[in-house]
Amino acid sequence: MSYECCWFNQDRNILDCPNIEEGEELLYASPRKRFVEKCIDCQWFQKDLGRLSEDDPFRMIINILRDEYKEQVGHLQSLSSFLSSKSREIKFLHELSTVLQTSMELDEVLSVAMTAITSGKGFGMNRAFLLLADREREYLVGHSGVGPKNYEEAWRIWDEVDRSNFSLTQLSRQFYKTKIFSERAKFQDVLEQLKVSLREADHIFNRALKERRPILVDNAANNPGIDPKILEVLGVDRFLIMPLISRNRCIGILLADNFVTNKPISPRDMESLQTFAFPVAFAIERASLYEKLRIEVEKQTSMNRKLQEQQELIVRMEKMAVVGKITSSIAHSIRNPLTIIGGYARSLLKSNNMEKKKEYLEFILNEAKHLDEVLGEVLNYSDSVHPVIDCWDLNQLALAVAAEMKERLADLAISVDLQLEPDLPQAWLDYKQIFYCLKTIINHIVQMQPAIDRIAIETCRDDGKLLLCVSDNGIPLPAEMRIALMNPFVETETLGQGIGLPLCRMILERHGSSFAIEDRQGGGTRYCIILQQQKEGLEL
Amino acid sequence: MSRILIVDDEANIRLLYSQELMDEGYSVDAAGTIAEALALLKENSYAVVLLDIKLKNESGLDLLQTLVKERSDMAVILSTAFSCYKDDFSAWLADSYVVKSSDMQELKDEIKRLIERKKSR
Repeated sequence: MSYECCWFNQDRNILDCPNIEEGEELLYASPRKRFVEKCIDCQWFQKDLGRLSEDDPFRMIINILRDEYKEQVGHLQSLSSFLSSKSREIKFLHELSTVLQTSMELDEVLSVAMTAITSGKGFGMNRAFLLLADREREYLVGHSGVGPKNYEEAWRIWDEVDRSNFSLTQLSRQFYKTKIFSERAKFQDVLEQLKVSLREADHIFNRALKERRPILVDNAANNPGIDPKILEVLGVDRFLIMPLISRNRCIGILLADNFVTNKPISPRDMESLQTFAFPVAFAIERASLYEKLRIEVEKQTSMNRKLQEQQELIVRMEKMAVVGKITSSIAHSIRNPLTIIGGYARSLLKSNNMEKKKEYLEFILNEAKHLDEVLGEVLNYSDSVHPVIDCWDLNQLALAVAAEMKERLADLAISVDLQLEPDLPQAWLDYKQIFYCLKTIINHIVQMQPAIDRIAIETCRDDGKLLLCVSDNGIPLPAEMRIALMNPFVETETLGQGIGLPLCRMILERHGSSFAIEDRQGGGTRYCIILQQQKEGLEL
Repeated sequence: MSRILIVDDEANIRLLYSQELMDEGYSVDAAGTIAEALALLKENSYAVVLLDIKLKNESGLDLLQTLVKERSDMAVILSTAFSCYKDDFSAWLADSYVVKSSDMQELKDEIKRLIERKKSR
């Protein structure tokens, strides 16, 4: 028996095989693969096989093997197709989840989701509507819609998309930038009517949420479980309800249909959409939370700004209040002497009595002197802002003050006891201001303690500091009086009458020095100026 | 002759006011502290009390409250160098206010007005 196939017919060259096509040249070198893929269906091999009798076991076995092989190949092709489809789906979901993960704006997330549902590169549904749970979680409310309104629009859009050859990400970005608001406006009438109470347990939307699974509605017109209003609004007989749930929280519902193509929605479509629903729900919730957070942050920022403005206002008002007090105090200190000067000047004009006139002139001179003192205090206050610090001999300063006040103290029958420690290091101070402080303290003592007959001026070292103290032998001051003396404008004194202790305290603080009032051992009060020896640590 | 009490811690102001008001024909007493004023008020009755708000270590407003409660027959004029005396509500109890000035015409007019008002009641 002569065979026709190349396996047995020497006249046939393998290279002339009509079944091996371009690109399959490797089969020439692999007989086993060539046999399985090509020879088993080769007409010459079939002819050779047909020459065998029908009951030939060899022929039967070959046929069984061939049929089995073909079935397996078909199965493999089906699996391969499934694998390719899943592979595309995974790629799509990966792309989708990447976009969703990086999107924080709610509208951006919705753009991605709606594009994915309706794009041919995504799930390829014709239309999609999104209903979101409201803030109080009482209603599902129509939020966004996407898709064509009619056939003409559908073909135009799909043609545009086909020609653009955009990826899903690019499409969703384009949608976000140019179409989301126009699509929302386009479906405004539909969205307004898509409102369902979350308390209607029997409503099909709430069922999908409760059962946490998509529901494919088919033949809706004859389905008693479908709200006729929804049916009328959507205008389709078949649609898909996809619940959006994130961490057990109802986010909303996605409705999808093939309004234009009327293409059936397969269980595979539902399965894919369900896989997609979870990241969408999560992304929507995250975007909503982000939006709430952003609003809260804005509120907080606004509150902080207002608070800061209020604080600045308070500081300004406090400054103004201090300025007001100072001004008022100065006005008071000036008005009294001016009243007296003016009053006696008028009396001078009226009087013919020379003795009286002399008396009035003395009053006027005294008050002019008083005004001079007021002016001195005001200038001292002003100077205290910018002290001129240098090294000075503290004992010399104490002696100079004692000399200047000697006459006044003698008039008041007050003796001065100088207790100056020899060889003191130089003190770091503004001579003019400390001179003023020491003089002010002595004046204050004289005014406050009319019964004293002795004061002591003392200099000494104490724990690295230099002390310049004045003591009296009067009545100890009550605690509240000490507090009042240390705070400006709390006490009743005014400028020109020795306001001065609070001013002294302020001057000394600017020096980096301090001021203390304490009980004196053996009775009386001790006023201490505590000065720095060295430059270090001074803030000038 | 109407009697006037001046309460002011400034001796020269007391002297000036006393002379001016005596020239106007009033009988005048003067006190430098609240204690001195109370002592005079205990013994005498005055048509007008001219009261300084800011006394040394004291407030004329304390005396004003006593006068309003116990001697409502007397008119009180607050005489002060502070133009912001009305910040303290208790100052509103006074019958009149005069800011200290070398021109005492306003003060004299107020004293005259209060005395006439009292007479007309």
